Amino acid sequence: MPELVAFVLLLAITAYSTAGGVDFGAGIWDLLAGASGKSKEARALIDHAMAPVWEVNNVWLVLGIVVCWTGFPLLFQEAFLGLYPLFALALIGLILRGAFFAFRHIAEEPRQHRAADLVFGISSVLTPFFFAATLGAIASGNLASFSPMSIAFGLVSVAATAFSGATFLVGDARRYGAPEMLDYFRRRTIAAAAALIVTGTAALAVIAAQAPDLLKAMLAGKGLPFALVTMVLTPAVAFLVWRRIYVWYRVLAVGAVGSLVFAWAFAQSPYLIPGKLTIDQAIAPQPTQILLLIVTVVLVLVIVPSMALLYYLDQKGALESTY
Amino acid sequence: MTDAVWLASESALLPSRIQMAFTLAYHVLLVPLGVALPTLTLLMEGIGIFKKDETAIKIARRWSVVMAVQFAVGAVTGTILSFEFGILWPRMMGRFGAAIGLGFAIEGLAFFMEAIFIGIYLYGWNRLKPKVHFALGLVLPPVGLVGAFGVLAANAFMNTPGGITMEGDRLTNVDVIRALFTDALGYEFWHFVISIYMTAGFMVASIYAVAWLRGRRDHYQRLAFAVPFTFAALLAPIQLVVGDVSARALTDNQPAKFAALSLTWETRDHNPEVVLGLMGNAGQIYFGIVVPTVDSLLVGYSPATVVKGLNSFPEDTRPTIAEANIVHTAFDVMVGLGTIGALLALWHLWSMARRRRPPDNKWFYRLAALAGVGSYVAVEAGWVTTEVGRQPWIVYNLMRVSDAVTSAPAGFVWTMLGTLVVIYALIAFFFISLLLRLAQRWRKEDEGAPEVGVPYGPRPKAFEAGSA
Ligand code: HDD
Ligand code: HEM
Ligand code: HEM
Repeated sequence: MPELVAFVLLLAITAYSTAGGVDFGAGIWDLLAGASGKSKEARALIDHAMAPVWEVNNVWLVLGIVVCWTGFPLLFQEAFLGLYPLFALALIGLILRGAFFAFRHIAEEPRQHRAADLVFGISSVLTPFFFAATLGAIASGNLASFSPMSIAFGLVSVAATAFSGATFLVGDARRYGAPEMLDYFRRRTIAAAAALIVTGTAALAVIAAQAPDLLKAMLAGKGLPFALVTMVLTPAVAFLVWRRIYVWYRVLAVGAVGSLVFAWAFAQSPYLIPGKLTIDQAIAPQPTQILLLIVTVVLVLVIVPSMALLYYLDQKGALESTY
Repeated sequence: MTDAVWLASESALLPSRIQMAFTLAYHVLLVPLGVALPTLTLLMEGIGIFKKDETAIKIARRWSVVMAVQFAVGAVTGTILSFEFGILWPRMMGRFGAAIGLGFAIEGLAFFMEAIFIGIYLYGWNRLKPKVHFALGLVLPPVGLVGAFGVLAANAFMNTPGGITMEGDRLTNVDVIRALFTDALGYEFWHFVISIYMTAGFMVASIYAVAWLRGRRDHYQRLAFAVPFTFAALLAPIQLVVGDVSARALTDNQPAKFAALSLTWETRDHNPEVVLGLMGNAGQIYFGIVVPTVDSLLVGYSPATVVKGLNSFPEDTRPTIAEANIVHTAFDVMVGLGTIGALLALWHLWSMARRRRPPDNKWFYRLAALAGVGSYVAVEAGWVTTEVGRQPWIVYNLMRVSDAVTSAPAGFVWTMLGTLVVIYALIAFFFISLLLRLAQRWRKEDEGAPEVGVPYGPRPKAFEAGSA
């Protein structure tokens, strides 16, 4: 059963990396849209795509934290004792992002508006970077906030969020029938896929140098199937989008990012912190595990249909109104 | 040694406590409207739908916008809190996470639902059929209560831990039900739930009390005032009773906290009630009004009731004198405001019963205009009573605050605190200016300008540049 709880934690992390990642990605493109040309249109599309769902995405993060401290109190303690600088930075990024997303809409003066866009965009880059850096620091086993591993993980995550963000914006551009924006984000999907492949390869080199055991498990052990999936899916999505074959490309992009997270997690299992803390050492007493699993089941039974309703109404246009 | 080095070697206890108190106090300002405004909004929407009152619908719509902005800020500040448990108090979570976390796991579920259904409610106004929209909104009130239950279960555990088995420092078993429903939960939960509903009602109504004072007396103003105010007025007298239950329960559950809030130094019968006032280092009382025997009467309904005093606890297991003074002042502020609120409520209810409308009295509306802010002050004061009164424990009798604190350098926490203060000030500025702008826009609309979309997360009808 401890493994099941660990899996729930992994699912929360994965959900945040993918659903939240799409969101951060949109923010990154918002930043990169700059101030010229199509930026206004791109930004309007990004707003349009994000508005009703971003808070829901944020909940995955809270859920992950709660599962972590409830299910694996010692992991939580060690991670925060060691990595408080990264968590603090990620947190500050997150607040600035949330606040300035909501408030950029009230900035009427163009200069203020521009400043709000900028803060929103920059924090959309920094937040996933620092979050993923904590995972890198954990994966390295020595919980140093700023190490080659933490930076490598951070960079990969920025590329990954830009990638999944772009594919979803392609979808939104299609949905709203905006041919120019479609091409705009098609190009960006392909570029981001390339960036993901480059940073991913570089990260593997860093892992080879810093945590050879982890690399072995990723490329020859339990992480392999997932690593393979990412390696195949990333270029596949780029290909589909390039050839304008609009089937499955978003699901595949989510799959690519999700299995990247899985590859790391499975490679280091049964360790939560390699060489230091295993799942069995950190797990909470059994009744707590049971409650967590019950909560998870309820979550699936209640939240999934609710979420489906939200996305359904959203796609149907029932939530289009200005109120 | 330079200051920087000195700061870096200092324990982070002081800035951590300040940061926790600051961020919690801020977050809790958002909670009353976050949990209770959906209920008021639905009440108004229900009146609108079932009595075919367009004005009520309009009011409900406007409140729902406030609700959404508010929820966004609540979500951001709440997320910060959950990180702070790790950044500031990693050892508390390491040792007790498996028990404290239970409440938060349930809360997590509730927040999830809330986020989803607030999204649907806010963005569904125009396109969903009114009754469908209303029905989907009905998910929100119970979900908010479940969320409050979760957080308060966690807090009650910190006050009256139970349901756990420890071996040395390690928590080896948890009885889930008993760890969730600890002794303090009963009174904390009901007292808190009533306080947030009351606060939301008074706060919303106070806006329209101001409108009344400025001379606005139409159907819109009357409806938007009377519904939330009546709602809060029904709760205010009950709150006195529930608060009294809390206070009496403390004499058993957390006697040192009770000694602090009643400013009792010596254990004795015929204990006097101290109203306001401060305690000196030897237990002497300055300034306050000392009413003989009344405290004993309130606690046990008999002058012979013995009340435990602060000096009967070892010094390192009870609040300091300074903390006791804070607790006592906070408690008196809460009780004072609660009493005034209840009197105001009775005035209103009496008038409603007799004439089916609120009193036509300037002073009534002046007080009503202050009731919103007053409730917020009472809520904050209540939390200060609870949290400072628990000192020096983070988990009562089991773990000290100083043993739970992070080993991060004090300089780091001071820096983070400074950053947060700046960011929170910014958020407050944005938040308030947004609300003022909304109010201004609505006022214009009421004077005949066409309705326009909300500025929060607007989804322009078409996203093409220009129209966006
Ligand atoms: C509108 C807000 C409001 C009002 C009018 C009152 N309270 Fe209160 N009180 C709260 C809002 C609050 C609160 C913010 O909701 C607290 C903080 C923690 C809690 O459980 O409720 C609280 C805590 C709290 C505690 C501490 C409980 C603990 O530490 O476990 C006591 C003893 C009281 N209250 C007693 C009273 C009395 C005797 C009141 C009136 C005569 C009263 N309260 C009015
Ligand atoms: C929401 C309203 C709350 C407010 C305004 C509040 C206020 C405070 C204050 C003033 C302190 C500082 C006490 C001191 O250092 O002297 C404090 C400490 C703390 N509170 Fe609360 N509190 C609230 C709710 C909660 C809840 C629900 C929890 C947990 C479930 C909690 C957990 C803590 C912790 C961990 C500390 C730090 C350790 C300590 O000083 O005891 N608080 N809070
Ligand atoms: C006094 C008790 C508290 C209550 C009743 C409460 C209630 C709420 C509510 C209703 C929200 C949603 C936002 C809103 O509607 O305004 C919220 C957000 C949040 N609160 Fe609190 N809160 C309390 C204290 C705390 C504490 C001590 C924590 C620390 C862990 C916390 C963690 C959170 C989190 C993580 C969120 C964001 C959830 C999301 O992303 O949707 N809350 N809180």
